[in-house]
Amino acid sequence: MASVSFRHVFKTYRSEKKPSVDDFNLEIADGEFLVLVGPSGCGKTTTLRMLSGLEDISDGEIYIGDRYINYVSPKDRDIAMVFQNYALYPNLTVYENMALGLKLRKTAKHEIDMRVKKAARILEITNYLDKKPGQLSGGQKQRVALGRAIVREPKVFLMDEPLSNLDAKLRAQTRAELIRLHRELGTTTVYVTHDQTEAMTMGTRIVVMKDGVIQQADTPQRIYRHPANLFVAGFIGSPAMNFIEGGIAESEGRMYFNNKRLRLRIPESFYPSLREAPSLRSVVLGIRPEHIVSDPAWLQHFDNKVSALIDIKELMGADTYLYLNVGETNLVARVDDAEDGFELKSAVEVGFQMEKAHFFDAATGANLSADSLRGQP
Amino acid sequence: MNALMTQVRRLTLFETLLLAGLLLLAAFLALPIVFIVNHAFKPYNEMFQFPPTFLVREPTLSNFYDLFLRSSASIVPFSRYLFNSLIVSAATLAAVIVSSSMAAYVLSKYRFSLKKAVMAMIMLSLMFAPETVAIPRYLIISWLNINNTYFGHVLPFIASPVAVFLMKQFVDQIPNELVEAAKVEGASEVRIFLRIVMPLAMPALATIAIITFQSVWSDGQSSTLFMQDETMKTLPYYIMTLTSGVNAVAGQGMAAAAGLLMFLPNLVIFLFAQKRIMETMVHSGVK
Ligand SMILES: Nc1ncnc2c1ncn2[C@@H]1O[C@H](COP(=O)(O)OP(=O)(O)O)[C@@H](O)[C@H]1O
Ligand SMILES: [Mg+2]
Repeated sequence: MASVSFRHVFKTYRSEKKPSVDDFNLEIADGEFLVLVGPSGCGKTTTLRMLSGLEDISDGEIYIGDRYINYVSPKDRDIAMVFQNYALYPNLTVYENMALGLKLRKTAKHEIDMRVKKAARILEITNYLDKKPGQLSGGQKQRVALGRAIVREPKVFLMDEPLSNLDAKLRAQTRAELIRLHRELGTTTVYVTHDQTEAMTMGTRIVVMKDGVIQQADTPQRIYRHPANLFVAGFIGSPAMNFIEGGIAESEGRMYFNNKRLRLRIPESFYPSLREAPSLRSVVLGIRPEHIVSDPAWLQHFDNKVSALIDIKELMGADTYLYLNVGETNLVARVDDAEDGFELKSAVEVGFQMEKAHFFDAATGANLSADSLRGQP
Repeated sequence: MNALMTQVRRLTLFETLLLAGLLLLAAFLALPIVFIVNHAFKPYNEMFQFPPTFLVREPTLSNFYDLFLRSSASIVPFSRYLFNSLIVSAATLAAVIVSSSMAAYVLSKYRFSLKKAVMAMIMLSLMFAPETVAIPRYLIISWLNINNTYFGHVLPFIASPVAVFLMKQFVDQIPNELVEAAKVEGASEVRIFLRIVMPLAMPALATIAIITFQSVWSDGQSSTLFMQDETMKTLPYYIMTLTSGVNAVAGQGMAAAAGLLMFLPNLVIFLFAQKRIMETMVHSGVK
């Protein structure tokens, strides 16, 4: 097991003008489950491949433990990789697939046998050991691929969207299994996904990337609660955070968020950090669906209320999502299923829990209110 | 029988017509094979009969007898040509498989400068008919001083753009991740090539083996152009001489027997390779 350290790592493909990975700096602690998340093409795979040694590093340094590995070949980095399309050798049996890495490392036969059988037991694939990958289902193949990684007992696991080819149910199941596996083995893991749900549920820490640049690296909870910028705020969370454009103005010592339709009072806790902002004329208010309240018993305590039109109602089981219209602005609110009686096309009064809101600079996307929350979990 | 009947009854009208059409086509395509086999066993009087007959009436081995024994009386025995042909074909087959599969692997799975240029040259050379390069080939062979050697037979065939191209197309379909997984697992380049890529490329390998064998087995050009020494010439050349000049009539029987002998390896190699292809397809599990 080992830590991993990226120091000012760049990758510029020969055919591209601008770097696909741009000044990537990250310290991954021993035993972490680190998730790289971001939209397709943001450089996650490239980053992982540089760590694996399958891709050259244009600039910067990568360390595994204390070892400088820029020029170490993949097989000597003591890593194991799991691919999206499983990458099992079709002409070998499951057993041979899992044993190959150990065999190439001249591990003793009985040792190989022991490790393969143990991994097979953990992953419940003992019955398939003699089959060829072509005879297995997608979920089984991915288990074998995981098994192939486990038996090597490497310092670091690298996984590139390992669940993307599975159906929803199997994905959730395998997700839980990966979490359990990580808890049992404690191996440092770097996991790439474009799915924010996977990132939120699996990562001990999440790194959100966009255009090759790290946007934020933090625990799932802190990323969810204190997104560093508009992009992270919009990317993490489902349904996505609501964004309302407008400006902030101060009158009689109080701050208000204004636009054509709305005038929302801003809690005083935001004042210090907002006053430091370079400009408040053009900002974006961000509020998560669960912080838009419609419960009348609650609403009476709110002074930030607005009347909205129910456009679509989505029943999700425990929750109900309301798609609302406030003038030109569309909002999503999450309400309890227990609260019945939301008629389509009817008006509903909703309130904003402003203390949970975020204010972003419309031009730079930076979270202007992040400072006021510093130190909070 | 019963199972077959129910099978047939389940076919729609269209399928029945299709099946009948395909059977007819297959029968038509089999005609030359039937002819070659029959012709080789015809006695002289049947061979020149008019109107010509398709099937042999009184089969005889005399053509083969003539070919093997009588022709041995000439300066170079038949067996020497056969031996040359076998050596040249085997060597060429091995050389083409090794060189084109390695070239294809590198062209498909590696990134390097000038790759596009190399590919363009291979594509370009696909367009030249063998006749157009006969003179440059001759110059190269005599410059290398390998006239009258087996290597002189083999060399022109080794650089086979068709084989490289076919192999590359096939290796392209093998996912890069398979190669990369093996690299991470600790496999050497040689091992990845031999144990991971080649087993998956078996169908393509079989295909280029057939193509190469057919062209080299039936090639008389190398013997004509590069081999001045009669003992270094191959079977196709010998068969051409059987029916040329004064032998135009007398050699027909031997030519028919030799024609069958020339054809047999093709048939065998095809049947063998076809089975391999099917096997590999079924078990490969490549999506
Ligand atoms: N082999 C390559 N050659 C050139 N550009 C590449 C190559 N691989 C990836 N890229 C580019 O690098 C960027 C990041 O790609 P990638 O790391 O695969 O993104 P992700 O895994 O986050 O979807 C993309 O813009 C992509 O076009
Ligand atoms: Mg990717």
